[in-house]
Amino acid sequence: MAEPALPENELWLLSFYRTSEISGALFFGRLARSLSGPIQHDMTKHFADESLHSWYWTSCIYKLGAEPLKLADAYQDQYVSVAGLPANLMEVLALTQVFERRVINQYALHSRVPNLKVEVAETLERIMPDEKWHIEWVGKALKQMEPDYGAENVKAALTRYTDADREVYRKTMAEHEDRVKDLMSPKRR
Amino acid sequence: MVDKTEVVKAMARFLRQPVEKLHDDDVLTDLVAESFVLVELVIQLQEEFGVRFGQQELQGVRTVGDLTELIASVARK
Repeated sequence: MAEPALPENELWLLSFYRTSEISGALFFGRLARSLSGPIQHDMTKHFADESLHSWYWTSCIYKLGAEPLKLADAYQDQYVSVAGLPANLMEVLALTQVFERRVINQYALHSRVPNLKVEVAETLERIMPDEKWHIEWVGKALKQMEPDYGAENVKAALTRYTDADREVYRKTMAEHEDRVKDLMSPKRR
Repeated sequence: MVDKTEVVKAMARFLRQPVEKLHDDDVLTDLVAESFVLVELVIQLQEEFGVRFGQQELQGVRTVGDLTELIASVARK
């Protein structure tokens, strides 16, 4: 039997990234549509980036001869069950800041995978500068929100979502340990 | 001072539902399937009525009536 174009674990992970980018685009798109004021500009760019990234991953998977898997939940959807709903814009941005850090760490980790496919490496390279900008603009926006929301509340929200992220990451890794080990293995081809 | 009827009207507009179909005891998570849409609703209402509250205040909110009361009470402070 012929080998699948893309190994199952790799297809799953690339589809996981794609799902996460789509969820981010849908959420930021809705917020960008309804919000006004100075944040609207950067949030609309953020929405556009996430949307493009989901296209990059889709295109990458197709180039590798496969079709994206339909995954029900995105990584960030799990934050709500662990840390509760963000109740205001500052809390949304705090959650975003924590999530974006996780994304950039994950993409950096993936870019160090042995024998990384050219298509995947190129997609990661295309996405990374945007991810860095996401952390930058959200960080600045949170700083600007401190007088309104209280610096201590901003700090508390960041701490709460950082703790939630650790828990979600631990659960995700435990659930998909085999896939991740396989991908990171130096023996993979 | 926030008129609770106006809050319910704003919710109905967001949910694209006739206002008479919204009741105080309607559970928010039944009206909005996705949690992040609920976040958007809560943020939009805060923007529209010029109020602000955090997760702690939102924790006890389950129904349309709870959310309306929260917005009205924060506006009174």
